[in-house]
Amino acid sequence: MTYHPAHISWLEVEIPGAPDSAFHLAPKTVRDVESILRYCTERDLVVQVWGGGTHSGYGDPAKPDFVMSMERMGEVETWEPDDLTIVVGAGARIDQVEAMLSERNQTLVFPERSRGASIGGVIAAGVSSLRRGRLYATRERVLEVTMITGDGRVVRSGGRVVKNVTGYDLHRLAVGAFGSLGVIVSVCLKLLPTPPGAATVDIDDIGQAGVIARPLSVLETDGRTRVYLQGTEAEVAAQVDRLGGRSVPGLDWPADPEGSWEWSIRVPPASTGDAIARLPAGWRYLALHGVGEVRAASESHEGAEDLRSWAEGLGGNLVVSQGDPALFDPWGRPPPGLDLQRRMVAEFDPRRILNPGRLPGGV
Amino acid sequence: MTLVADLRAVLGDGDVMEEPVELHLFSKDASSLMRGSATCVVFPSNASEVAEVVRIAERHQVPIVARGAGTGLAAGASPTEGGIVMVTTALKEIDLDVANRTAWVGAGVINLDLTRAAMSHGLYFAPDPSSQSACTIGGNVANNSGGPHCLSEGSTTSHVLGVEVVLAGGEIIVLGGQAPDPPGLDLKGVIVGSEGTLGIVTRALVRLLPVEPDVRTLLMGFPTVEDSARAVSDVIAAGLVPAALELMDQRMCQAVENWLQAGLPVDAAAVLLAEVVGETEGVVSQAELIAGIARANHAMSVEIAETEAHRALLWKGRKSAFGSVAQLAPDYYLHDAVVPRTRLVETMKAVYEIGDRHGLTMLNVFHAGDGNLHPLIAFDASDPELSEIVRQAGDEIVAVCLAVGGALSGEHGIGVEKRDLMPSNFSELDLDAQARLKEVFDPMGTFNPNKVLPQGSRCFDFGGARRELPEGVWV
Repeated sequence: MTYHPAHISWLEVEIPGAPDSAFHLAPKTVRDVESILRYCTERDLVVQVWGGGTHSGYGDPAKPDFVMSMERMGEVETWEPDDLTIVVGAGARIDQVEAMLSERNQTLVFPERSRGASIGGVIAAGVSSLRRGRLYATRERVLEVTMITGDGRVVRSGGRVVKNVTGYDLHRLAVGAFGSLGVIVSVCLKLLPTPPGAATVDIDDIGQAGVIARPLSVLETDGRTRVYLQGTEAEVAAQVDRLGGRSVPGLDWPADPEGSWEWSIRVPPASTGDAIARLPAGWRYLALHGVGEVRAASESHEGAEDLRSWAEGLGGNLVVSQGDPALFDPWGRPPPGLDLQRRMVAEFDPRRILNPGRLPGGV
Repeated sequence: MTLVADLRAVLGDGDVMEEPVELHLFSKDASSLMRGSATCVVFPSNASEVAEVVRIAERHQVPIVARGAGTGLAAGASPTEGGIVMVTTALKEIDLDVANRTAWVGAGVINLDLTRAAMSHGLYFAPDPSSQSACTIGGNVANNSGGPHCLSEGSTTSHVLGVEVVLAGGEIIVLGGQAPDPPGLDLKGVIVGSEGTLGIVTRALVRLLPVEPDVRTLLMGFPTVEDSARAVSDVIAAGLVPAALELMDQRMCQAVENWLQAGLPVDAAAVLLAEVVGETEGVVSQAELIAGIARANHAMSVEIAETEAHRALLWKGRKSAFGSVAQLAPDYYLHDAVVPRTRLVETMKAVYEIGDRHGLTMLNVFHAGDGNLHPLIAFDASDPELSEIVRQAGDEIVAVCLAVGGALSGEHGIGVEKRDLMPSNFSELDLDAQARLKEVFDPMGTFNPNKVLPQGSRCFDFGGARRELPEGVWV
């Protein structure tokens, strides 16, 4: 361990999976986070923020001096079932919060098979639920974010109401920012009620899904296509019939494919089928029809370059969510507005200590 | 060369106006409050011309206030600092991509015209502000506009996938696109709702939704406001998110009925208008469920529209609400605040008390489903004393909403109207962070200056590593 300051040793924890060359610690309060970040900014020490460790494969992260786990900052501050909002610490595990919410038939609409991911981590990585085609992406669920900037300022944006145009939407900027503006410490999220009826229906051909105007999702995994339905019992039963009836009750979500290399292919929605057809041989996949997102896994990066140039030609991307940045560029073509992005990050994290290397374009 | 001569050299004489009549016409938006005074009004017809105007404005060090139809209610498009008013209504293109359910839309396209163009392909644009027959997409993007049907689908920000924007220095940039989750910071996401203060959006890539196969609209009268609010809570608790859930109070219903007889029950203390959309089996069962909830909460009347004509009549009452106020007074001041849905009843009571205490005619029509209140005060703006009372009552309404955990604005924006109230909603550090964002985008202060953020917001500078730590920090 490079740094082991005695006065924060009481925050030390073991973080399984985190780089072991760094000092591991888990703050308990907002004040702890402020102090740690000021300390690191003073000394130019690199901090890797850690939620569930499930999205740590994105980008080309710099070697951290500190790994800061948010595991002790995952309390549910308030849950207002009648208001369909929850205020929760960023370190809360998605599966645990969803289990609590399901007692009142409510949901975060966060990733279904979350593998221990934290709420803050999913927001920072900007990944979304498989229900996003009907219920929108993670960014639309985030009503308020409190984050601690790299230089230790507590900044809150948004509010605890479901519709709000008060001030600039810095909380939306935090979604998918990989913690580069600040460490997300707590969020207010918009919940949705879960209707009573649900079914998962097998179909033979993606064209059949067209008989339903707005299904919850249409997913394809390695040759199997299924339509996910949700609504009143009567509504779901009638829709199952129209789709041919090969159904199971409830929502049977597939797992994301796993491998040495994991990919996120993002293309215009109508090109989802093309993206599947262009996957190199042997790649396993989970495709979200109507969204343009294909999650894939493989044992090598062979063929990825061709797929990337095709996706980028459509205005899309091929992003590495797990792999080796030395072997294959994790992001590909840099996004527009890099100068603005760099200057924004400099205003929030002047010494660039927070998760450097995670964003595209060397920001 | 003078500012006007420079502009005319680029845009031509006809698209640069400086006559007193035009300057007066474009000196305010639809808010009754704040009139500004511009040097000239320009009508660019494409992004390159917008970029030229930006460069000229920077050279002359004058601000630009972009505006669409001017239906804004927070004086966001008022040229309060002088300079150039840029009217975007000539940016008229609509480029539909039916397969991907998106469209590139010029900033000057009227909201309803977009939906009309999409409708022939079975698609529509979800945000539907009450002003949708007049307001422009550029204005919707600037204000992150809402509308009755944003309850289930979200406000404009959820439907803007990309923007073409002219930045400081006149650079034209495209942010976002049809593919989901563009990598990097979501700059497009902060431009939406920034009220023209970060740059000028010339086109937006919007999401279009498929028209739902069927719809049911319910009109329900309640003996008390509390009953109606409880019905709203019970609908949500039953697992339903209707497409719209609107509330009108008795005074508003009476005003509407006096004017156009839309069939609103005038004996009810509150009327709820609910709409459910989806497959036929779904809307039939959902409408029954909502009707049952209404009856369980003492509804005096429940009417379900099954035909388009009947539905249109029920909506006519809601959409004509603001117009009907003209019978009561020549002007009205429409508020926009938002509270947690659980605090609706107590907030409404407090709002009525404020009106009564000041002897004001107060009516309420609002988006109950998302806690977005629109108390409306009918008054005569030519009476300066009365106008001051109206303004003061407005501040009190805002204070009440903030006290229950609400926010300053749900959909109308901050503009000038609520700019100086921002410190009641945010800490100094929060405002400082927002001011940094503004500075990053607009270092010269060209774009709609002195809006949204109060003066002095940018007051903290921790300055990175070389600054002394504040006392009491334990590192």
